[in-house]
Amino acid sequence: MKTSKMCAIFSNQHEYSQLKPLTDERALSTLAFAGKYRLMDFPLSSIVNSGITQLYTLISQEKVRSYLDHWGGGKEWGMDTIGSYQYLDFYQNLMARRSRGEEYFDDLIIFLKTCNVPYTVFIGNKMAANFDLKAVLHFHQSNGNHITPVFKRVNRCDIAADDRTFVLSDNNVVAASHEAIELNGEGPFNLSANVYVMDTDWLINELDKAQKSGVSYDISERLSVLAVREKANAYEYTGYLRSIHDISSYYEANMDMLKKDKRDSLLYGNQKIITRIRNEVGTYYDKDSEVKNTLIATGGKIKGGLHNCVVSRRVVVGKEAEVESSILMAGDHIKSGAKVEYAILDKNVVVEKGVTIKGKPESPVVIKKGTVVDKDFILD
Amino acid sequence: MSTKMLGIILAGGKGTRLGKLTANQAKPAVPFGGRYRIIDFPLSNCANSGVRNVGVITQYEPLRLNNHIGNGSSWGLDGLNASATILQPYTDNGGSKWFEGTAHAIYQNIDYIDSQDPEYVLVLSGDHIYKMDYDDMLEEHEKNHASLTVAVIDVPWEEAPRFGIMNTDSSGRIIEFEEKPAHPKSNHASMGIYIFNWKRLREVLTAGFATADDMVDFGKNVIPYYLKSDERVFSYQFSGYWKDVGTIDSLWQANMEFLDGTDGLNLDDRSWRIYSKNTIDPPQMITDNADVENSMIVDGCYIDGTIKHSIISGNVDVQRGSVIEDSVIMPGAKIGKNVKIKKAIVGENAIIGDGSVVEEEDGKIAVVGNHEKIGVLPNENK
Repeated sequence: MKTSKMCAIFSNQHEYSQLKPLTDERALSTLAFAGKYRLMDFPLSSIVNSGITQLYTLISQEKVRSYLDHWGGGKEWGMDTIGSYQYLDFYQNLMARRSRGEEYFDDLIIFLKTCNVPYTVFIGNKMAANFDLKAVLHFHQSNGNHITPVFKRVNRCDIAADDRTFVLSDNNVVAASHEAIELNGEGPFNLSANVYVMDTDWLINELDKAQKSGVSYDISERLSVLAVREKANAYEYTGYLRSIHDISSYYEANMDMLKKDKRDSLLYGNQKIITRIRNEVGTYYDKDSEVKNTLIATGGKIKGGLHNCVVSRRVVVGKEAEVESSILMAGDHIKSGAKVEYAILDKNVVVEKGVTIKGKPESPVVIKKGTVVDKDFILD
Repeated sequence: MSTKMLGIILAGGKGTRLGKLTANQAKPAVPFGGRYRIIDFPLSNCANSGVRNVGVITQYEPLRLNNHIGNGSSWGLDGLNASATILQPYTDNGGSKWFEGTAHAIYQNIDYIDSQDPEYVLVLSGDHIYKMDYDDMLEEHEKNHASLTVAVIDVPWEEAPRFGIMNTDSSGRIIEFEEKPAHPKSNHASMGIYIFNWKRLREVLTAGFATADDMVDFGKNVIPYYLKSDERVFSYQFSGYWKDVGTIDSLWQANMEFLDGTDGLNLDDRSWRIYSKNTIDPPQMITDNADVENSMIVDGCYIDGTIKHSIISGNVDVQRGSVIEDSVIMPGAKIGKNVKIKKAIVGENAIIGDGSVVEEEDGKIAVVGNHEKIGVLPNENK
């Protein structure tokens, strides 16, 4: 069978306490985004849309339940077929082996050798973006480097504290900063998309050297160091990208999806974003409903108002309820006469009749999963 | 490996009365309710009833239908001891095997049925909208020690002359069958859903075709033969929503009943889901210019116009200034600017150019065919 020239390492390394309580019970990778997606759908769709069928997933043990619940056997992504190969590993495993003085990248190296393909792509879990990895591979092949990092030009405010940025000279990486705190000025900066295309043999060799010298098991950190050492040619990604690392970046990225150019870039691009199938009936809009500028998934029943909202599956909005500039996750129920403004409602939240929830554009109110809100909650 | 009850869905019919909508696809593949196709109902009923091996008999324009069903994975029919099999006419040494009637289609697929080795065969038609537990029907079939059980539904007396009517005794045993009687003696209409003991049906079909006593059709030949031979034929009383969507009027009406919730189908019930092949499209976008009321909309839609009392299926574009009322827009249709659509069914991937009007006189339902283009298209305008 003719298969892709690439295999993939998908690293679910990022977790941010600034995203609590949204990530209390779930991995950042499974955070709901744009109505019907989870954040992991973006890197995974980029991977499978490029034809890759061999996937090594690294995840934290504590957050594996929500990940496996969404991924299942990878059926929707076409990863359950003959010729596909999946390997799941835990960061805790790497950590434990390193502390015992063992060679902690051995499983990964075995995976890479088993895949037996010339190129490997590494991709992280926090970017809402739609990468054309075949194009990156093409760029990589024509440049003859061992490693090709992907970056996006962004402003200071779009960078998380632990994001890496590159200093480029003629598109070659000459330095990488490890802390956004070190950055001066407003930018634009070359934000690392945490996507690298590499020669597999070279990567195996570098991983082996790394584990023998006992450096960090953080592959992403290692790759940014290697990109500098190799003075790699960097690939500029020009489509939509947002680093999701705190409540405001999460809120703003969702609100971005109400803008046609950004929505088109991320969701209606050449490559479809794949997510788990739920067989929901169409969304019903009652005669008294008023819905404007809203992105909404199926299974909903809307009797009230939705303005500038991003709404997930099976959301019920009662009569004369008004929801504005908010994110509603699956199964939320806004009862009649309730008002919700500048808020993020996690799954299965109930807002009782006539109750008001009001946040601010720069600091939306976040309501925990399953909460029944029966008293007004107004930020002032 | 044997199967207790094998499902066979008859999906080969052309559905002539649906006109343009079945010009290039079989009736069971016609979209319904925004995100379904008609055949999703019997297929999902099978999956939900524990009938895990299903043969789908196709004949007329099967491409779309085959593509929709695939290996049955959308209905969970691809697991261990489960299968969905498309059964197409084929040729052998005896010549071609085009299906001449419902029972003939079963006869031509004896090899397939034997390979599944079922005790019972559940025969379904692929063109009805309903939710039904076939396992419950099988329980009654076994309780009655029946050779054949026919599902019946009580129809209004004035409509009974349009149906095959089953006259039963007090135990529910069918003693007489009348096809479209002018003066019906009962209002128990056959739903075209049968459970046969396979061994006996196999004998009847084989003997019939061997002796030119052709068992071509269940209603015309097989059921009368069973009754004449004093087989134990029982009725199974069904009392939910059941709709034959064989005409433009009934298809439109069934969609409107679904939209209004007056059909009682309750597709939100997660214990009896209706599954369909899902194309994984982005959520629907309702813009600032949109005005949506009394309507149902599905994934992938972009709504920039006014939607009143309509069903908008997946991946439909409605541009600014357009007004859609009392209509069913099927998947992938593109509606230009300032279009007026009233009481219409717009077929799959139809393109309606800017400023067009789709409306019939005298309250008739307007129909735009699949892939049909109406009016001046935007790119021809330049």
